[in-house]
Amino acid sequence: MRLLLVEDDARVGGHVAKGLREAGHLVEHVDDGREGLYRVAGERYDVVILDRMLPNVDGLKILQTMRAAGDTTPVLILSALGEVDERVKGLTSGADDYLAKPFAASELLARIEALGRRGPLQAEQTRLTLGDLEIDLLGREIRRGGRRIDLTDREFRILEHLVRNAGRVVTRSMLLESVWDYQFDPQTNIVDQHVSRLRQKIDRDFDVPLIHTVRGVGYVARAA
Amino acid sequence: MSALARLFRSLTFRLALIYLLLFSLSVAALLGVAWWMTVERPLEDVRAAVLREADTLGDIYIVDGPTALEAALVRRDATVSERKAFHAFTAPDGRSVANLPSWPAQAAGGWARFEADLYRDGDEEDHEALVHERTFRDGARLIVGRDIEDIDEREEVIEQLVLWGGVAVLILGLAGGGVMSLAVGRRIEAVNATARRVIAGDLSGRVPTRGSGDDFDRLGDTLNLMLARIEALVEAVGRVSDSVAHELRTPLARLQADLGELAAASEPAERTRLVEAAAAEAARLQATFDALLRIARLETGRHAIERRPVDLAKLLRDAAELYAPEAEDQHKRLDVAIDAPLTTQGDPNLLFQAVANLIDNALKHTPPGSRIRLSGRQLDGALVEVADDGPGIAAEHRARVVERFYRVPGSERRPGLGLGLSVVDAVARAHGARLELADDAPGLSVRLHLPPAP
Repeated sequence: MRLLLVEDDARVGGHVAKGLREAGHLVEHVDDGREGLYRVAGERYDVVILDRMLPNVDGLKILQTMRAAGDTTPVLILSALGEVDERVKGLTSGADDYLAKPFAASELLARIEALGRRGPLQAEQTRLTLGDLEIDLLGREIRRGGRRIDLTDREFRILEHLVRNAGRVVTRSMLLESVWDYQFDPQTNIVDQHVSRLRQKIDRDFDVPLIHTVRGVGYVARAA
Repeated sequence: MSALARLFRSLTFRLALIYLLLFSLSVAALLGVAWWMTVERPLEDVRAAVLREADTLGDIYIVDGPTALEAALVRRDATVSERKAFHAFTAPDGRSVANLPSWPAQAAGGWARFEADLYRDGDEEDHEALVHERTFRDGARLIVGRDIEDIDEREEVIEQLVLWGGVAVLILGLAGGGVMSLAVGRRIEAVNATARRVIAGDLSGRVPTRGSGDDFDRLGDTLNLMLARIEALVEAVGRVSDSVAHELRTPLARLQADLGELAAASEPAERTRLVEAAAAEAARLQATFDALLRIARLETGRHAIERRPVDLAKLLRDAAELYAPEAEDQHKRLDVAIDAPLTTQGDPNLLFQAVANLIDNALKHTPPGSRIRLSGRQLDGALVEVADDGPGIAAEHRARVVERFYRVPGSERRPGLGLGLSVVDAVARAHGARLELADDAPGLSVRLHLPPAP
């Protein structure tokens, strides 16, 4: 993917750019808000990564300018302002995701890949499939190999999220944000227990596991 | 600044002077009215009467001659009247007829006032004569007057009043103003001295009060309450800073140790273990930092909390559902009893965080097989309760567990940052809610009383 990274801190910026390049992306890194503004106006990117506090032009300002010009390129905001209300402010300004510093490189990568490959919203989609797993979104029914599996509402939403992002890593915090309705900080790895229960119901009686753990990062749904 | 200059700058003294001025003005106005009513108006009446008499007698002289005038004067003198009649007639030849003991030798014409004391049978009668003098063309002088001793006396009384009253008011006013400003100044100086002590860093300084409940006592009580609160806050901040330093240094030290070992380690498995340990310490540091920031922002009100209607029943069910797998893994029962509907006002994210922390705590601090109850009741406001049948918290520690990093002795080795209840407390305060820890015999009951929507 072609990515624009606007980050003024040389070490964080260099580190992030390096990590993204190693993952096979084409990264343009600028360290000034005004330069960032010129780039987003003149070029097309798959995902734009903006720091909140930048020299000359604030990251939110770049975002607002983009949205005002009708530019729908996915934007991820990076910020040391990690509080919930700052996050909400970023998202209501038109950001697609928000990541508080400090963050793990793997977390950023997972989020960027989720943003970049997100196709147009498939509102009419009523069925998802992964290998021999079928999800009926309307009837809220799960079948694997033709056998019906009963899930709780939460398990259903976790599975739906993983399958929609099949092949891409979904981190714990991404799951927490999209499957639970609250912005909060669980003190323990509570998400793991929910995924582990889901996994028992989905994978236990089958030879091919669908939900895989990515050590230290999160989960990925994959058919093979 | 000299003592005198300071006195004149004192507000109390100035107020006393202004009061004195206003008081003097009102007294002057009162005396003025009294003077006009008891002196000036009667005097006017006497003048008018005297003038009428003088005209009549003058006419008698001009028309009927000196003999007729003398007869008229004698008749007038003999007539008993409220005001004794005075007269002095000097004929052109120098012969005079008078009942005035004395009169001016030189003809002056017009009005005059002089003493006209009479001696009768060895007694002195005080009289004051108001007279009108007329000189005729032939050189004769006619002085006609009336006694105004009573008016004169009243005038004197008023003059004395003005003189001595003025002196007394001035002395009393200045002295009173000085004493008042000293007394008030002393009370204010006591407040000032306390303030200077506090500014200098001694937060134990308190304004002395007399216990009389007067204005200054009330001011002092309020200031003392404020100072006590400030002192408590500063002490708490101090304690927190100490704990923060300790709680941040410990993971930092471990992180440093892990990195040091990592530099020396050659075994790949060992290196992986050390990197993971270091990452865990960094994560712990970050979590501590985040929680501290969240509490600080809630406490200083920078986190202007959102107030919107919250479906508390759903929020509690979601929280219970979130922890159900964890409880099951730990072989604990998580029972839920929630009124429906159950609503409140507030920030759902913060409330969820608070409830999650309470359930998390209950799970952390109870042995396997314990029973945890989450209940939500709609009372006057909403009551959220998380109770367990675990070991509970001894009464002497209950009040302190909301302090940052405070750990009940014996629980230090359990996982956690020591900030969970501090976050709950901060969320409760931001919502105007009351957090209450009680003995559930056995176990602990933590209740969050959310106020009714305004």
